[in-house]
Amino acid sequence: MDLSIAQRESRLGWRFIAPSVGVIGLLIIYPILYNIYLSFFDVKLTGDKLFIGLANYQRLLSDAAFYGAAITTVLYLVGTVVGSTIIGLMVALLMNMTFPFRNLVRTLILLPYFAPVISVVFGWQFIFDPVNGIYNHLVVDVLKISSSRHSLIGNPNSALGVVILFDIWKHFPLSYMLIISKLQSINKDQYEAAAMDGCGPIGRFVHVTLPELYFVLGTLMLLRMIWNLNKFEDVFLLAPNVETLPIFTYYAAFTGIIDQGFAASISVVQFGVLALLIYFYVKKVLKW
Amino acid sequence: MAGIRLENINKKFGKTEVLHQVNLEIGDGEFVVLVGPSGCGKSTLLRLVAGLEDITAGNIFIGDALMNRIEPQHRNIAMVFQNYALYPHKNVRENIIFGLKRAHAPKDVIESRLSKVVNILGLEDFLARKPAQLSGGQRQRVAMGRALVRDAKVFLFDEPLSNLDAKLRNQMRSEIRRIHREYQTTSVYVTHDQVEAMTLGERVVVIRDGYIEQQGTPMEIYLHPDNIFVATFIGAPSMNILDARLFDGYVELEGCKLVMENGTPGQHRELPKTGLPVKLGIRPDFFIDRRHAGDGEALAVIHNARIDLIEPLGFDKELDVQIGSQLMKVRLDLRTQATEGDTIDLCVDMRRTHLFDIDTGQRLQ
Amino acid sequence: MLGKRTWVENGLLAAAIFVVVAFCLFPFVQILSTSLKHQFDWGNPSLIPVKLNWNAYGELLGIRSAEQVDVPDSVKRLLENPSISESQRRKILDRYQTTSDVFPFLRYFLNTFMLSASAAAVSLCLSVFGAYALSRLRFTGQTVIQRSILFVYMVGGVLLMVPLYQMSVKIGLAKSVGGSLVSLLLIYIIQTLPVSLYMLGNYFRTIPYALEEAAAMDGCSRVEAVFVIIIPLSVPMLMTVFVYCFIIAWNEFLFASVFLKQFHQWHTLPLALQTLFMSKNAIWDRIMAASMLTMIPVVVCFLFAMRNLTGGLAEGGVKE
Ligand SMILES: Nc1ncnc2c1ncn2[C@@H]1O[C@H](COP(=O)(O)OP(=O)(O)OP(=O)(O)O)[C@@H](O)[C@H]1O
Ligand SMILES: [Mg+2]
Repeated sequence: MDLSIAQRESRLGWRFIAPSVGVIGLLIIYPILYNIYLSFFDVKLTGDKLFIGLANYQRLLSDAAFYGAAITTVLYLVGTVVGSTIIGLMVALLMNMTFPFRNLVRTLILLPYFAPVISVVFGWQFIFDPVNGIYNHLVVDVLKISSSRHSLIGNPNSALGVVILFDIWKHFPLSYMLIISKLQSINKDQYEAAAMDGCGPIGRFVHVTLPELYFVLGTLMLLRMIWNLNKFEDVFLLAPNVETLPIFTYYAAFTGIIDQGFAASISVVQFGVLALLIYFYVKKVLKW
Repeated sequence: MAGIRLENINKKFGKTEVLHQVNLEIGDGEFVVLVGPSGCGKSTLLRLVAGLEDITAGNIFIGDALMNRIEPQHRNIAMVFQNYALYPHKNVRENIIFGLKRAHAPKDVIESRLSKVVNILGLEDFLARKPAQLSGGQRQRVAMGRALVRDAKVFLFDEPLSNLDAKLRNQMRSEIRRIHREYQTTSVYVTHDQVEAMTLGERVVVIRDGYIEQQGTPMEIYLHPDNIFVATFIGAPSMNILDARLFDGYVELEGCKLVMENGTPGQHRELPKTGLPVKLGIRPDFFIDRRHAGDGEALAVIHNARIDLIEPLGFDKELDVQIGSQLMKVRLDLRTQATEGDTIDLCVDMRRTHLFDIDTGQRLQ
Repeated sequence: MLGKRTWVENGLLAAAIFVVVAFCLFPFVQILSTSLKHQFDWGNPSLIPVKLNWNAYGELLGIRSAEQVDVPDSVKRLLENPSISESQRRKILDRYQTTSDVFPFLRYFLNTFMLSASAAAVSLCLSVFGAYALSRLRFTGQTVIQRSILFVYMVGGVLLMVPLYQMSVKIGLAKSVGGSLVSLLLIYIIQTLPVSLYMLGNYFRTIPYALEEAAAMDGCSRVEAVFVIIIPLSVPMLMTVFVYCFIIAWNEFLFASVFLKQFHQWHTLPLALQTLFMSKNAIWDRIMAASMLTMIPVVVCFLFAMRNLTGGLAEGGVKE
C-alpha cells in the first residue's frame, strides 16, 4: 500500500519477468554451466559419471576427426555466409526494381526459409539421387560431362558442396529480407544526387547503396555465422556424412560408442568460439 | 467533489529538479488553469495530482485524504490527455463507458450518464465508430466525454485543445466553460496558451521553470503582474518593457518626462536624486493617439515616437514604433491617420503602467 | 526511378527474375511432382506425371488403407474356417496389417501439432508478461536480464543437447514417454521464448503510454491494463509470434530425435519422416507426399502471418 510508483513498478516487473527468467535460467544458463561440469567426467547415457579431469580435452586435442570436423565447419561457414549474403544482396537489388507481380514474387522467394527442413531435404535428396535425380540426368544424359552416374550426397566431399548450396538456398531469403527493408529506407534523393554527379548505375551502387548497406551486411554475416555454427538439422538431414562440429558432437553423444562427457567437451570448445562471436556481435554491431 | 491541496511539492527526474517547493490550494469546484512556457513543469504537476508520477517530497491532498502513495486508479480522478489517448480497439460508446464499467456501475446508471454526456457533446451519431474513424475535434469530444461521464472528484486536462485548429479551439473553449458551469467539478487545466488561460480560468497559476510565479484571477494577473515574466507572458501582444529612470513623481523615458498622478511607487524608499534605473512596462493596448485623447484625463505623453511599421488588423492597427533607441508595440484604433515613417505623440495613463526592479524583475511596490 | 528501361533491359530483368523464382521453387515443384508419380515415372526428368498417382496421399491420410501385406496362405485358409468368430478374425488380420509398412501420418501429425501448439502457447503466455516487463516497466536488474536474453537468443540447441539430456535422465524424465514429452515441451518453450520476448517487446514499445495511463484513470491497475489494453491491441502480433514459435517447434528435429527415438508412437513428423526415409520401405512417392503434408501447415501459417512476420523479422526478431 505504501509503495511509490517506482517500487510498485519494480515489483511488478519482477513478478512478470520471473517465470521467463526462471525458465531461461534453469533450461539455458544452468545447462551451459552443467555442460562445462560434465566435460570433466566420463558420462554414460544412463547418467553414471566418473571424474576424469581433463582427459576429455586431451583426447579431443589429439583426435584427428575433431580437426577434420573443425575444417569442415570452417568450409561450411565460409561457403554459406558468403553465399547467402551475396545471393541475398543480388536478389534484394533485383526485387527492389518495379515489375509486374512483384508482391507475389517477393512472397514466393521467402518459401525456402519458412518451409520445414525435413520436407525440403527430401526434394534435394531426390534431385541428387543417382538413379532418378535430375542432376545426374543433366550431367550424364544431356550435357554428357560425366559418363557415369554419381551419388553426390553419398560422397562426403561432394556432399559438403551440396549442403552448402542447400543452406544458401534455404537461408538467402532472410538476408534478402533484411537487406531489402534497408534498401527501401534509402532516400531516393541520394541516387538523384549521385546521378547528377555523373555516377552510372555501378557508381551509384558503390557510392550510395553499399555504404548504406554496410551495417546490415555486417550484421547479417555475423549472425549467419553464429547461427550456422549451431546448425544441425540442415546438415544432418540432408547429408549425415558431412561432419560439422554439431554433427560430430551428436554422434559422440548419442550413437556408436556413446561418450557424453566427450561430447560435452566438444560443446564447451564450440561454445567458447560462439561466445566470442556473440561478444563481437554485441560490441560491434549492437554497440552497448 | 473535493478540493486539492499541494504542500511543498518537489519533483526530481533523476538529478534534475523540475518542480521546486510548489504550494497550491484549489477550492472545491474551482476551475484552475496552470499556464507557462513549454517545459516549465505543468504536465508534471498535473501528473503528480493524477498519481502517474512519484512525488519526490511534499504532500498532495484531495479533499482531506493524503494521496501521496495512492495508486492512480484509486484516486477517482478523470483526465483528458493531450493526444486524447482513446482506446483504439473500442468504439466511442465503449470508450466513454469504460470507466463506469470498471467501477461496476449499474446498467441504468451507465445508460443515463452516457446519454446525458452524448447529448451535451453532440456525439449521438458516432457511438458505433472507432476512434480512427473520427476527426480530431470529434476525438477530442470523446475524450471529454470519457472524463465527464464518470462521477470523478477532480477533472484534469492536459492541453486538450492544442491539436485543434483555431476555430474549433474557440468553440471547444466555450463548451468547456459551459460544461464546467453545469458539472461544477474541481478542475485543473494545463495550457501554454495564455488566451486559453485567461478565458477559461477562474484562477490562473503562472509557472516558470518549476516555480509558481503568480496566481490570481485572470484580471488580477493581467492588470497587476508581479514581475516582468508574468507581465510579458500574459496578454497579447505582450507588454512593452522599456528602460527608464524613476524620479520623485515622474518617470523619464528617452527624454520624456512621464508624470505620475498619485506620486511614485515605492515612495517609501530613499530615491537617489539622479534617478533609479527601472523597467517600465506598458501594454500596447493602453496607448492613445494624442489627437484622440480626451482633455479631462491626466495622461503622460511620449513625444515623437517614430513609426517603423503599421499592421492593420481590422478594428485595430498594430504599430512598431521607436522612441530613442527602444522599440515598442503599440495598438491604436482605426481612427489613427499616421503612416509609416511619421512621428506620433502617444498618451498613456500612468496608473496602468508598471515599474519593475531592473535586477530582480519584481514589481516595485 | 532514374529513366525508363529499354526492352533489352526488361528482357534481362525478366530472365533474372525467372532464374531466382525457379531456383527458389524448383525443389518444391520436384517434391509435388514426385509425390504424384508412379514408380515407373520417377526417373523421368519431366515434372508432369505421366499418370497421376494419388495413392501416397490417400494412404497417408487414411482415406485408403495401406496395401495389405500378403497374408500367408496358411493363415488365409485359417480365416476361412467358419468356426472363427468375427472378432478373432479381425485380430488375426490386424497382426498382418500393423506392420512397419504403415506410416500413421495423422498420428504423427497430431503429435507434432499438440507439441508445437502447446509450446507456442506457453511461450506466448510467458513472453507477454516478460516482454511487458522488459519494455514497459523499470526494475532493478533489468539491463542484465535484457542482455542475458539477447545472449541466450543466440545459443543454439546443439550446445544444450548433452546437458539437457543428462538433466532429464537425472530426474528420471527420459525414461518414460510422458517424461520425454514433457522434456521436449520444455525444450521447445525455451527455444522459442527468447525470440517471443524480443518480438513482443519491440511491439509493445510502439503502443503509446498514454493509453495505459488513461486506463489507470479509468480505474484499471497496471495488471488489468495489460489485459484490457495491451493484449487486445497486440492481437495481430500475438498471432504472428504464436505462428513463428509454432513453426520453430514444428520443424524441430534434433531434440525430438534425442528424446523420442525409442517411442515410435510419439514421433513427431520430422523424426518420423527421417525414420521412414532411412527404413527399407522408403518409397519416393510416399516420402514426397509426407513432405508435402508436413509442409502445408507451415506454408498456410506463413501466408497467414506474412505481413507481420516479415516486418518483425526485418526488425531483427529472428531465431534459428
Ligand atoms: N520522464 C521524464 N524524465 C526526465 N525528465 C522529464 C520527464 N518528464 C518531463 N521531464 C522534464 O521535466 C520538465 C517539465 O516537463 P513537463 O512535461 O512537465 O513540461 P510542460 O510544462 O508540460 O511542457 P509542455 O508545454 O511542452 O507540455 C521538462 O524539462 C522535461 O524535460
Ligand atoms: Mg505538457
